[in-house]
Amino acid sequence: MTEVQLSPEVAEFTEVHRHPEPKRFIWKYIFSVDHKIIGIQYLLLALVAVFVGMALSLLVRLRLVWPAESIPLLGWLFPVGAPDGVMTPEFYLAMLTMHGTMMVFMVLTTAPQGGFGNYFLPIQIGAADMAFPRLNMLSFWTTFVSFLLLMAAFFVEGGAPMSGWTGYPPLSAVPEATVQGVGQDLWIASIAVFCIASLLAALNFIVTTLDLRAEGLTMMRLPLTCWTWFVTAILALLAFGVLLAAGVLLLMDRNVGTSFFVPGGLVVSDKQIDHSGGSPILWQHLFWFFGHPEVYIAILPGMGVTSHVLSTFARKTVFGYKAMVYAILAIGLLGFVVWGHHMFVSGMSPMSAMVFSVLTMCIGVPSAIKTFNWIGTMWGGKIRFTSPMLYSIGFVSLFVSGGLSGIFLGQPTIDLFFHDTYFVVAHFHLIMGVAAIFGMFAGMTFWFPKMFAKRMDERLSKFHFWVTFTGVYAIFGPMHYLGMLPHPRRYAEITSVDYLGTTGAEGLHWFITIAAIVTILAQFVFLYNFIYSIFKGAACAEENPWEATTLEWAIPTPPPHDNFGGKVPHVYRGAYDFSLPGAKRDFAMQCNNDEAVYGAAKEASGD
Amino acid sequence: MPATLTATEPRPKTRRGGGDFVTVPPVRDGGWGGGPNDDRVVQRYKLATWIGMGGIVMFFAAMTSAMVVRQGLAGDWQPFSLPPVLYASTVVLLLSSFTVARARHEASSGDPAGLRRWVNISAILGLAFLAGQVLGWQALAVRGIYLASNPASSFYYVLTAGHGAHLLGGIVALGYIWARVRGRRPWPTREAALEAMALYWHFMDVLWIYILGLLLFWR
Repeated sequence: MTEVQLSPEVAEFTEVHRHPEPKRFIWKYIFSVDHKIIGIQYLLLALVAVFVGMALSLLVRLRLVWPAESIPLLGWLFPVGAPDGVMTPEFYLAMLTMHGTMMVFMVLTTAPQGGFGNYFLPIQIGAADMAFPRLNMLSFWTTFVSFLLLMAAFFVEGGAPMSGWTGYPPLSAVPEATVQGVGQDLWIASIAVFCIASLLAALNFIVTTLDLRAEGLTMMRLPLTCWTWFVTAILALLAFGVLLAAGVLLLMDRNVGTSFFVPGGLVVSDKQIDHSGGSPILWQHLFWFFGHPEVYIAILPGMGVTSHVLSTFARKTVFGYKAMVYAILAIGLLGFVVWGHHMFVSGMSPMSAMVFSVLTMCIGVPSAIKTFNWIGTMWGGKIRFTSPMLYSIGFVSLFVSGGLSGIFLGQPTIDLFFHDTYFVVAHFHLIMGVAAIFGMFAGMTFWFPKMFAKRMDERLSKFHFWVTFTGVYAIFGPMHYLGMLPHPRRYAEITSVDYLGTTGAEGLHWFITIAAIVTILAQFVFLYNFIYSIFKGAACAEENPWEATTLEWAIPTPPPHDNFGGKVPHVYRGAYDFSLPGAKRDFAMQCNNDEAVYGAAKEASGD
Repeated sequence: MPATLTATEPRPKTRRGGGDFVTVPPVRDGGWGGGPNDDRVVQRYKLATWIGMGGIVMFFAAMTSAMVVRQGLAGDWQPFSLPPVLYASTVVLLLSSFTVARARHEASSGDPAGLRRWVNISAILGLAFLAGQVLGWQALAVRGIYLASNPASSFYYVLTAGHGAHLLGGIVALGYIWARVRGRRPWPTREAALEAMALYWHFMDVLWIYILGLLLFWR
């Protein structure tokens, strides 16, 4: 085993022992227990899923503006869903469902946590790996099985499910309600398997954070990225068990004839359905008890990366670090008591609606704390406008834009109007979808030099940022207006709806579709930049190209198999010591002791 | 900047509990979480078990709330008396908690044969409990009460099967420990695995008592 030369930045360390690197390809890259490989596996899975999900969204947009045109390629790919290349309304709903499911589960849940979290949590806390490496491998491959099950739904008789990513019964529970066969079953099975994978991963993240931190790395010295991965894991642990339970019950309603969610006396296509007394609302409660924390599972890691990157490139400590930590915890806690705001129109009592509404408004407080602190972090900083910094600023912008519409939707009376309109589509795409994805872009461009020892092309990254940033506002901005018309969502056919005729909705849909096509094309620029840079990018062997402070920048590039080569660095300070007065440099790494930061003279003078 | 590399002495490996059968090589640990916390592997496994229990509790909490809500919804809820075999299997499961505790005791007093014996007995008791659950389902089926008969029976089957599946995990853990102990090779995480398994097993006990209470009193 080659000796790992620990960075001179590390003032002191504890010698433990090495972990031999596996030699054979299969153990090194496929069934690897190395958290870094597993992290990359998660990222690649999410990368495939995001392009599938994006293609589905393109189909959705094309169907909306081009309901009767023939796209020959589609006719060849989906002879049933798009006979002669013309998408049927059912096909539209199926694409919508699969787009949502693919993006929420396989992208927003896997990449920020499973991908970046797996790769960088152990390194940032000074550990050689996750607490349970084999369990980690199991989590990934279970997720992969879930992905395969979901993809399989495209290729079975009856096609992909069309009950939406929320899988509301009776549509999802009664096979007669749709023409589908096993597509919906595969969807439920995929979600259930995904729940198990996420529970295993959550357990691993929590134990790792609590138990493997390096000496001196107290919880209040953790990088905010670690805090968000930690709280995300807690949310996942408490939320996915509930979704799993709901999924099991739904699967039985569908296949065994139980009546958990299917009401009695239901008539579908002039046929009485043989169920009794179940409640679709029960599913909604269980689903959204998971579904709302899921929003934070998607966005919290993005918040962590944003805080991390803003501080690094503003050369300032995070404004109000403790407030940030408490805000993360408050968001996590409140996330569990607001699920009812997704169900204001389900006939709940005004009293319950009011309670859920007030609690929902409470989330505005920690969210505002975070936003103000991000701005406070940048305020007066010596900002370096690198591409990760741009993406992070973009994250803040999108978080604010998406968050503001949440205040409207959190009011039961206003929600009665906006529910199931494009206003909701605009809201959750901005905050949960695009903001979280900007967090991933920030993370990818920020950590790329460490992961691959290459640099991504800054010009291409910045080009991608500006097109995407403008593009997503062009797509989702007008949807607020559509929602106010009010333009219902989930409609496959909008060109011949009379009352929308004079409102300009059709023109806006054209505009949105064109913006979507441009934005999608820009993603190929990012993909090209990513793949090209891995193989042909400018070499970056520096340990710490961004002059950052956390432990991942104190190990060789790319990181060796066991990260610190059998040594555990000692940590002396918080994660964001930038521009310390009297320091020799404008940053102090966590593993720098006072002598390294201020020099021996300072220590001797007794300052 | 000058490098100031000063390696401190590695911490002595402390082991909790009693004697051991074989000398544990110093550099191997369970998995490779690594770091100076290697000597805390027992706590780590137990912490993981506690956290895993949190997830399982949420699963059954969701089931419970679904059951309570569903019962209050419509008039199709038809209570039925529980099959008597359930009480016998409850005794068997409670007994198994004592045998698991005994296995732990044997391990800490350094008796591999005793450990194997009590792990064996525990696994057999666990399987006997599962057999009792199957008999319970059969008894209900004879009375014409099936999974989809009415919501009360649906929840009965779902809760018992859900618990059974989790208990099966415990039995697999027992089997794993049995096989590893039988191998007599150095096994640094033996104590940790045993502690985690025992904790999980007792939790399965408590969970079952809870489910039984729910089925008995929330009819």
